[in-house]
Amino acid sequence: MKLKLSINQQFYNTHIDGDESLLDVLRNLGFKSVKKGCDTGACGVCSILINGEPTLSCQFLAARAEGKKITTVEGLGAKADKIVKAIINEGADQCGYCGPSLVLTIYAMKKELKDPTVDKIKHFLAGNLCRCSGYEGQLRGIKKYMGVK
Amino acid sequence: MGSVRKFDSKPKINGSWKFLDDYQSEDMIYGNIIYSKCHHGIIKDIHFPNDFNISEFTFVYAKDIPGENIVPEPVSDQLFLAVNEVFHYGQPIIGVAHPNKVTLTNFIKKIKIDYEELPAIIDIKECLDNEKNHFGREITIDHRTRDEIQNSWIRHHNVYYMPHQEQAYLEPQGVIAEYDKQDGIIFVRITAQCPYYVKSGVESMMGSAVNDVVIETSEGIGGAFGGKEDFPSLLAGICSLLSYKSGKPVKIVLDREDDIKITTKRHPARIEIESYTDPATKKIEKIDIDYRLDAGAYQTLSPVVLARGVLHTAGGYGFPDSFIRGRLFRSNTPPNGAFRGFGAPQGFAAMEAHIDGIAAEMDITTIELRKANIFNNGDEFPTTQKVTEENLIDCFNKVLEISDYQKKLKSYAQWNKNHKDKKGIGVSLGFHGGGFTGNGEKTLNSEIKVVLEKNAEVKIFVANTDMGQGAHTTLAQMFCEAIDHPFEKTKVQLPNTSKTPNSGPTVASRTIYIIGNLLKQLALELKKKYKFDKLESYIIEHNSEFPLELRKNYIQPTSVFFDEESYRGIAYKDYSWAACVNEIYFHADTYQIELIESWNVLDIGRVVNEQIALGQAEGGILQGLAYGLSEFFYKPGFGRMSGFTDYTLPTTLDIPKIVIEFIHTDSVTAKGLGEIPMDFPAPALRNAFLNATGIIIDEYPLTPEVIYKTIKEQK
Repeated sequence: MKLKLSINQQFYNTHIDGDESLLDVLRNLGFKSVKKGCDTGACGVCSILINGEPTLSCQFLAARAEGKKITTVEGLGAKADKIVKAIINEGADQCGYCGPSLVLTIYAMKKELKDPTVDKIKHFLAGNLCRCSGYEGQLRGIKKYMGVK
Repeated sequence: MGSVRKFDSKPKINGSWKFLDDYQSEDMIYGNIIYSKCHHGIIKDIHFPNDFNISEFTFVYAKDIPGENIVPEPVSDQLFLAVNEVFHYGQPIIGVAHPNKVTLTNFIKKIKIDYEELPAIIDIKECLDNEKNHFGREITIDHRTRDEIQNSWIRHHNVYYMPHQEQAYLEPQGVIAEYDKQDGIIFVRITAQCPYYVKSGVESMMGSAVNDVVIETSEGIGGAFGGKEDFPSLLAGICSLLSYKSGKPVKIVLDREDDIKITTKRHPARIEIESYTDPATKKIEKIDIDYRLDAGAYQTLSPVVLARGVLHTAGGYGFPDSFIRGRLFRSNTPPNGAFRGFGAPQGFAAMEAHIDGIAAEMDITTIELRKANIFNNGDEFPTTQKVTEENLIDCFNKVLEISDYQKKLKSYAQWNKNHKDKKGIGVSLGFHGGGFTGNGEKTLNSEIKVVLEKNAEVKIFVANTDMGQGAHTTLAQMFCEAIDHPFEKTKVQLPNTSKTPNSGPTVASRTIYIIGNLLKQLALELKKKYKFDKLESYIIEHNSEFPLELRKNYIQPTSVFFDEESYRGIAYKDYSWAACVNEIYFHADTYQIELIESWNVLDIGRVVNEQIALGQAEGGILQGLAYGLSEFFYKPGFGRMSGFTDYTLPTTLDIPKIVIEFIHTDSVTAKGLGEIPMDFPAPALRNAFLNATGIIIDEYPLTPEVIYKTIKEQK
C-alpha cells in the first residue's frame, strides 16, 4: 500500500505491506537512529515521538502513522544538544545502542513533567532498557538536565 | 587527564554511529539459520513449504562446507551445521538466504522438521546432580596439607545452585559476509568481541575454497558482556558460506527471540562445599569444593570458564588446607559460554553464601569469620600462589565503614523484632585475576601497532574492540598520558584483521591491563629512545623520519609461571579486589526483596578514566544484583525464555542506590576492571536476606517464587 509519512517535518512517500511496523519502515527510509532490540515492545530502543508522545515504533503499524507527526532523534537537531551534553558529561553513554531513544524520551519527559522528581523520572524512563550503565550515570545527567536534586 | 570524554559519545547518542544492521548495500540479501527445535534427536525429514519459489533461496547444509565442519574453540567439538543428529535446541541445521527479508522470515516459519526424539537433559539439577553427565575437562587443585580432622572443628556442608544468565546485549547478534570471487576473499563485518576468533572460524569453515578472510567489526558494538566472544564465529561461518554460494553479500541479524534461545549463556553451576572450622580461632582449617558447570551440549569454551571458576571459587580466604575439583557436565541445551565474570560469579555466589552459613551455624558474626580468614599478606591461594598485599582487607574495612554496617546491623535486628516485613544487610568479598589464566598471555603473545604520522597524529592499531566499555578511548588515553601527547591527536583504528595486528581477544579483563599497559610501555620507550619533551615538537623538527610504524609484543614476565598439570603457580600476575555490602527490605506479604542500597569498594589499581571506570562498575554491579535477584533462563515449570518480556532485565524502577569507591588508585598499574563488578554483588544480597529473615536459600536467584517455596517447605 502507498503511504505518505511526515517525518522530522518532511514528507516521505513510500510503499509498505499492511502489517509492517513503523520501525521497519523508518529504518528502510534511512532513519537508522531508530534501533531494533526486541520487536516485542519491551526494550525501548525503537522509541520515537508521534505527535510529541514517546511511542514504541516496533508496536506501531506504519499504516496508522499517516497524518501524524513523526520525530526521530535526527529531527531534534539542536534541540537535543543539551540532553546529549547532559548524558555525555556524565560518561553515561556506553554501547550507545539505547542512546538515541533515550534522548527522545528525555525530550518528551521534559515537556510532560511539570514538577519532576527522581521517582517521576524513573517511572517515565522505565521502558528504556540499558544493559551497560546500570542507569546510574544516565540518571545523574538527566537529573541535572531536569533541574532535580 | 582524568575523565577524557569518549570520542564516540556524541555520534552514538545522536544516532549517527553505525551498528551492524545499519550497514546496507544494494545487492545485499538476507540470511538466517534454520535451527533445531528438538533437544536431542535424529533428523528424519525436512519439509519446505510449497507456496514459495524455492529457486529464489540459497541453502547451505553441512555437506556444502568446503573446509571443516567444526567451530574452532579451545575444545573443537561443536559443528557449524548439524549432520543427521541434533544435540540441543537451537543447533543450526541449515543456512538460508533470500533477497527479501520478510519472505525469508515467512518461509522459515513454515519449515517443518521431523525428528526421532532421543532422551534429553534440559533441567539444570538433572544435569548437574548426576555424576554420569560429567564429560570433557576435569581440573583438580589439591592443596591438602592435613590428613586428620579434629573433633572440635565444626563441619558445614551445603550445595549451591546458580542459574543460566543471559548477556542481554541490546544489539542482537549480526554479521555481514561478502565473498569477492575474483580475489577469493571473504570480507566479514560483524558485531563481535574477538575479530581473530571470527577469522579463525570462517577460515575453518571455508578451508582452501578462499584465499583470504578479513574481519572488521561494525563501528558500534551494542553491548556484548561475553556473549559476542564465541558465538559470532559460528554465525560468521554460516553467513560466509551463504555468501560464497550465492555470490552476494549476505546479512544475518538475529531476531531477539532467536538470539535469546540459541546463543550462549552464563553456565549454570552446582557447587558443593564442605568446610571445617576451628571454633577457638574461627579459622576455616579445611575446605573441599566440588565445582560443576553445565556446559550444554558441547564443551566449546567451557574448559576455560572452568579454569577461571576453580581458581576463584575458594574466595579471598587463606585456607591452609583445600581441595577443589572442577568438572563439566553435559546437557541438551545450547553450549554455554562467556559472560562477564567467566565462572567466578558462580564460585563467589557459593563461597560467600557458605561463609555466612558457617557463621550462622557457629553463632558468630559473618564479620568475625571473614576477618579470621580473609587473605593476609603471605597467605596462599589453593594454587600455592602467595598473596602479596592486603588490599582485600582494605576493601573490606572501607565498605564496612562507608555503609555504616555495624550500626545498621544492630538497628535492623531491633526493627525486625516488631515488624512482619524485614530489613537486612549482607556482605561479600570478591577478586578477579587480570588477563588470561596461567600462561595464556604468554601463548597469546599479543602484538600492538602504532603509527606516528607526519602531522603528529598517533594512530593505534589493536584488535581489541570497543563494545561500549570505552576501551578505545582509555587505550588512547594511556598512550597519550605516558608522554603528554594531546588526546585529540590520537585515533584508534576500527579492528580489522588485515590492518590491526592480533592483540588478542577482548575478554578476561585484559584490554586495559595487558594492551593498555603495553601501549603505555611503548610510549615510554619511544620517549626514551628519541629523548623528546613533546612528541609533536619532535615530529615537526624531524619530519622526514615520519610516518613511523612501531610494533610491540607482550612478553609475560619470567617470574610468572603456572603449571597447567598440577594447577600450581601464579595463575594471574595481578588481582583486582572488592568488597560489598547490600541492604534489602523484604516484603513479607509478596515475598519480594527490595534492594535499598549497595556499597562497593574496589581496588582496580590506577583508575585511568574515572567516568568510564565508574560506569563499568555501576553497570556490572547491577548485572550482579540481577543475577542474585531476578535473572534466570530456564527452570522447571517456567519454560524457555523467548525475549525481554519474560527474561526481565532491571529497569530504572528496580535499581538501588549504588555507592562505589575505588581505593589504592595511586598504584602504578591499571588492573582489570571489566569483570570484577559482576563477581560479588549477588551473594551479598543473598546474605542480606539471610540476615533479615534467618532463612537460608542456596539457590539463586532469590525470586519471590523461590522464597515462597523455601518458606513453605520449612513450615
